Amino acid sequence: MSKFRVTMTVLGLALAATTAWGAGVHPGKESIEKSGYKGPETCEECHPGSAKGFLDTVHWKHASKVTNVEGLNPKEEYGMKNRIYVMCNGNDIVNNLKEIPKSPVTGKSKFSGCNTCHPGNHLSDVGSTGAAAEAAVDCLVCHSTDYDFRQRKPFKNEKGEVVMGQDRSVKAALAIGKPTVKNCMVCHEAAGGGVIVKRGFTFTKETDAHAAKGLVCVDCHKAKNHKMPTGHDPNNWANDGVFVSCSDASCHGVKPHKDADLNRHCAKIACQTCHITRTGGAFAKDFTVWEQTPDKFYEPTTLKKEANETTPVYAWYNGTVKNAPHFIGPKGSKKDGKSKITPFKIFQGKAYYNKRTGELLSMDFAQPMSNGDTRAGVLSAAKTLGLKNPEKIAKEAVPGWQTIYFGSNHLVTKTKALYCANCHAPNGVLNFKDLGYTDKEILKLTSPELFMEKLAQKQKEDW
Amino acid sequence: MKKAVSVMVLVAVAALAILCFGSVASAGEEIKMVGVITKIEIAGKDAKTATATLKDNKTEQSVVITVEDDLTLDKFKDHRIVEGDEIRCKYEVIDGKNVSKLFRKTAGC
Repeated sequence: MSKFRVTMTVLGLALAATTAWGAGVHPGKESIEKSGYKGPETCEECHPGSAKGFLDTVHWKHASKVTNVEGLNPKEEYGMKNRIYVMCNGNDIVNNLKEIPKSPVTGKSKFSGCNTCHPGNHLSDVGSTGAAAEAAVDCLVCHSTDYDFRQRKPFKNEKGEVVMGQDRSVKAALAIGKPTVKNCMVCHEAAGGGVIVKRGFTFTKETDAHAAKGLVCVDCHKAKNHKMPTGHDPNNWANDGVFVSCSDASCHGVKPHKDADLNRHCAKIACQTCHITRTGGAFAKDFTVWEQTPDKFYEPTTLKKEANETTPVYAWYNGTVKNAPHFIGPKGSKKDGKSKITPFKIFQGKAYYNKRTGELLSMDFAQPMSNGDTRAGVLSAAKTLGLKNPEKIAKEAVPGWQTIYFGSNHLVTKTKALYCANCHAPNGVLNFKDLGYTDKEILKLTSPELFMEKLAQKQKEDW
Repeated sequence: MKKAVSVMVLVAVAALAILCFGSVASAGEEIKMVGVITKIEIAGKDAKTATATLKDNKTEQSVVITVEDDLTLDKFKDHRIVEGDEIRCKYEVIDGKNVSKLFRKTAGC
């Protein structure tokens, strides 16, 4: 074939793809219909290297190097894979997907594990690499709008291994595209033990200004090569090295308001402080006492609220994180020149601590889920992690509480955003004393003198 | 005569008490329940309504819930919610139907 014909063929394919894409149809439909869908190898025909690249992302590894949290080894990777904290208490290692022991009441078992959301097939699990891992990527769970979730269930294969099923049907493959809100929420809405537990938000037009504008998750979390930008949540450690910012030139810029006084606030006040005035989800959990559920299995005792039902706490945050056995939260101060006043969702969890070292212990959920025996879960986790004297550790483990500050980065509002008098008043939402202001400063900051003239004028214009 | 009046008064008081404090759902009242889905009925991909029968964990009674919100309907259609799932539900009785106001799986990871 001549160079000219090759060039024309490639250009023709590119044109066809562009035309199909422009019409809202993902190109390659004919090819999938003709040859079927064979998993990532089908996707790779047009997106070479994607599967291999995906294996190096947080969505696959559930971990990354973390540079902003104190007390971590900069050479190690941290995340859901191996973290020990009290929202989950288990992690992918100690609470790996498995068939839990049978309930002594019903004689029934079930599959459970922290890594049920991992987009592989469990045989190629969190952080796995190589050809088998590349072939195991479940592209469609994130990219198809017609995925049949009856297929995505754990089962045991002929070797007795636990496998996570996938929908690799042509029907699902023909419905591919940019991930929708639904694709993301399949996993993210039920994290931490149920719907609106961990993150405490819904992304609907009723609850979020961005959703009301028709935006989807990946409009802000705009991935490149599957590297997903995230915010700087003190409790969300793993990251792909790219971050979301409201002040991106393509979004709100550094002067997002028409009012110069409001723009001046941006230097010391995070956008979320005024524009995310509510939080929700679980606010307390007890991993030392599990409650029996109607199916006679057990779940950790959890107290929770709806999205929008709780109010945040405000603290100075410079992007670095205090990480102690009883506290995970923001570092920062009024004086460091880097911090902004930022809202957080407070969560408190009770779990077991190592009596000798004072460190928080993790838990394998298999045993407590089956019969409520939480110390057996601690013992199993201690064995998995290779701790010395695991029986002694589990027996002597001391219950205690950990407080976590979660980032509050969704439930964005424009119409109900905080305005002058919401903060600059003696009963305002900000506790200026706790934020480090002097009595003299507080007197000035809580006086209507600051905004009287401006708001009086606005009131006149409004009415 | 006196006895008959007393009985009537007692009956009236009892009826009033049932109306005020009874557990029988009335229109506009939000009822909460947790139960396991025993049956889902949905008419095709474009359905705008569906019914799910839940077996109430407390009373073991079957309650038929009408679901009309798009998010939950979508979860029925792609089988993110299936028979056997345990559901936390709030509903209101509207025109004799138990219309869902909140319909969520209790489970998570």
